[in-house]
Amino acid sequence: MKQVWCASMVGILATFAIAALITSTSWAVDRAEAEETARLLAKLLKAGRLVIEQNQQLIDDQHKGDKGFTPEVFEQQLVQEFRQQTSIDLAKLQSTPASITVPPMAKELLPAFLLASKEVVRDAQVVINQRGIGYKNFIPATYGSQAAARFSKQSHVRLKQTTLGPRNPKNEPDDYESSVLKWLSGRPKADAYVSELTDQGQTLRVVMPIYYVPACLTCHGEPKGDLDISGYPKEGHREGDLAGAITVTAPLTQP
Amino acid sequence: MGLSDRLPILEKLVGRLIIALLLLMSLVGCGLIVDGIGLIHPLARNELDVICARGHIRVGMSVEPFQPFVFPAIYTDEGLRVTGLDVELVREISSALSQHCGSNKPIVPTLHLIRFRNLFIELTEGNLDLFVSSISANVPAPGRIGLAYSSPYFDTGGIGGITARPEVAERIGEYVRRSSGKAADANVMTSAFSGLTVAVQEGTSAQIYAEANLTGIKLVLCDSLPAAFESQDPPIDLILGKLPVLDYTIRRVRKDWQLLRLDSGKPLVMTREQYAIVTDEENYRLGRFLNELLFRLDESGRLDDMRRRWLEENYAYPRRAATEGLPFAAEKMPQHYDQGQCRMADNRSR
Repeated sequence: MKQVWCASMVGILATFAIAALITSTSWAVDRAEAEETARLLAKLLKAGRLVIEQNQQLIDDQHKGDKGFTPEVFEQQLVQEFRQQTSIDLAKLQSTPASITVPPMAKELLPAFLLASKEVVRDAQVVINQRGIGYKNFIPATYGSQAAARFSKQSHVRLKQTTLGPRNPKNEPDDYESSVLKWLSGRPKADAYVSELTDQGQTLRVVMPIYYVPACLTCHGEPKGDLDISGYPKEGHREGDLAGAITVTAPLTQP
Repeated sequence: MGLSDRLPILEKLVGRLIIALLLLMSLVGCGLIVDGIGLIHPLARNELDVICARGHIRVGMSVEPFQPFVFPAIYTDEGLRVTGLDVELVREISSALSQHCGSNKPIVPTLHLIRFRNLFIELTEGNLDLFVSSISANVPAPGRIGLAYSSPYFDTGGIGGITARPEVAERIGEYVRRSSGKAADANVMTSAFSGLTVAVQEGTSAQIYAEANLTGIKLVLCDSLPAAFESQDPPIDLILGKLPVLDYTIRRVRKDWQLLRLDSGKPLVMTREQYAIVTDEENYRLGRFLNELLFRLDESGRLDDMRRRWLEENYAYPRRAATEGLPFAAEKMPQHYDQGQCRMADNRSR
């Protein structure tokens, strides 16, 4: 298996080094850039999901009309969350200090994803600001699906959320994703990701796992089979179980 | 070409015009003037042609939920969606229209999620082709002139009641028991409900029923069913509304409320209702088209399947919203939908 299991930043650097040794220099740079961009995109989507999760109570507050959770507020929180996780300030991306590596491809795609995310939150305003309706299904998963879909439509890089046995059939993993998810599910939780070249080296696939945190378990936890707030049967998961993954597919040649 | 050359052509045109006018005049008074225009100008389009040419049908739907007919608008993996039995019916209408229009492009429904009370106004102002939202077809009401109701797509509707107070349920049950014990006679209901604070959604058939039949109650008008549940001032003894909606709501959402029932266990039905699609009464071609469609859906058992899957099956409506729900025109939706308030219908007991 060509998979490279990278342990956080150390792992990434190791991968870059190995790639540089076994392939031509220009090829290695391309892959490194694509891989770092993919990693950052996945991180940004993950951060977006976290922001939605942190505001879930507010969004589902049936006693409140206008929640004040505007696209601008969301953007501000997302930028802050992403900065905390990566030290990259999306508001000052072009003037990022040299000590922080942000590939040119990422400088182009991260703002594009931020914009797609803001559009999702903007569109959801009519639902979010309903008073008298509690659960609105604007949750990390639905935000993530829409943001990824919008971004992918405008970009040559494809972003997706997937899991084994998804609630939404459209999030069904493809063969590659399925094999990685099975492999990941047998391993302990780690802040890491899988990166691999497919299509005879023409496409880079990056799979970043997502693990269940306590907030997810209201709907995905125990008792297994009981209906959650949206009417889906709970899966009986526990904290730290593999929830799924964010996958990034990036062509290494110009489309 | 000189003026003298043109004269014979002009004479011919004037002659034809006079003949056409005479024909028209002969039709006036025998009620055939509209058909006459259709004969002279065969391209004059009816509402079905307009929908075909437009490529979409403008459908009104209540922004206030009437689950399982219309669920609250939610966000899904596909974006904003609304779902329910009425939405499935709209899908059937669009599909039948696509077949009727025969174009390669399907007829797309454009959903206008608007306040219940505005559905009637928007239709009469010509901003909608039709609307659905478990609308009672057999309840005569003021202010609904110019509307036409299709054949019913749901004929086991009715007005029912729910309460969160067991003593209210017991009291009403006792009155019914002392009468025939089998049905909800309006006189019995008047006595049974006397002195109670009864909430209804404004503009619905429940309000019309309460105003027509229930004297002695304190009638509270609410903007929506969720508003009635939340009302503290005044506190509500009883909510009257569409029986299938109330039944669904207390089984899935508000389990602290109970349906008024007869001793047999059957729900107490105050009056029967049939739900239908509403169109402009002048759009009789669209009306005929809908009736024909509903007849076919009924004959094929499709309507029964639809009723069963929305009223009896266990399902997650967000899932159905994602897989089969319809998008809606967000700009038509009230900017910040509010469940609204409740207020006394007047200052005295009815």
